[in-house]
Amino acid sequence: MDSDSVKKAIIKQVILEANIQNSRHLVEKINENCFEKCIPKPSSSITSGEKTCVTNCMEKYMAAWNHVNATYMRRVQEEVNKGSFAT
Amino acid sequence: MDSSAQASVSTADIERLSDKDKADLRQVLQKEEQRNFIQSQSHLFTDICWKKCITGTIKSNVLDSSEGTCLANCVERFLDVNLTTQNHLAAMRQRHGQ
Repeated sequence: MDSDSVKKAIIKQVILEANIQNSRHLVEKINENCFEKCIPKPSSSITSGEKTCVTNCMEKYMAAWNHVNATYMRRVQEEVNKGSFAT
Repeated sequence: MDSSAQASVSTADIERLSDKDKADLRQVLQKEEQRNFIQSQSHLFTDICWKKCITGTIKSNVLDSSEGTCLANCVERFLDVNLTTQNHLAAMRQRHGQ
């Protein structure tokens, strides 16, 4: 491999691993928070109502994550512009 | 998922990197680290703000507008707390002579 393809391979691998890590983290949080919301009292088997709640909750949690992430990034940019993070 | 690229970079390959590519890599990795930091903070904030803002039962798969506003305010105020703590800590440190 030449220098350029080594560089590209490393970048690809690093991004791939970060994305895997990020989606694992998201799934873990969805399980925690949607279990809490949708299964208030665990019964002997999961009901169809609970399943619907879980899938709705999952999509809603992802929407919440995106909303939070966008708000956070906007604020970081604002603080950078204000010079709050003086180096 | 394409895993064929995995483990294809050896130590010998890394030694083959030109100085320019090393510098490029350093820059890309630094940006990547920043992106990861923001993403992991977003996981923390979503967890905290979900608990504060999504209080009723789940009736749909979308956020309603009041939930959206609550989430945004929650993030903003959490960051205010963060900044206030940091600033106050700096002030306390100064007051106590480092």
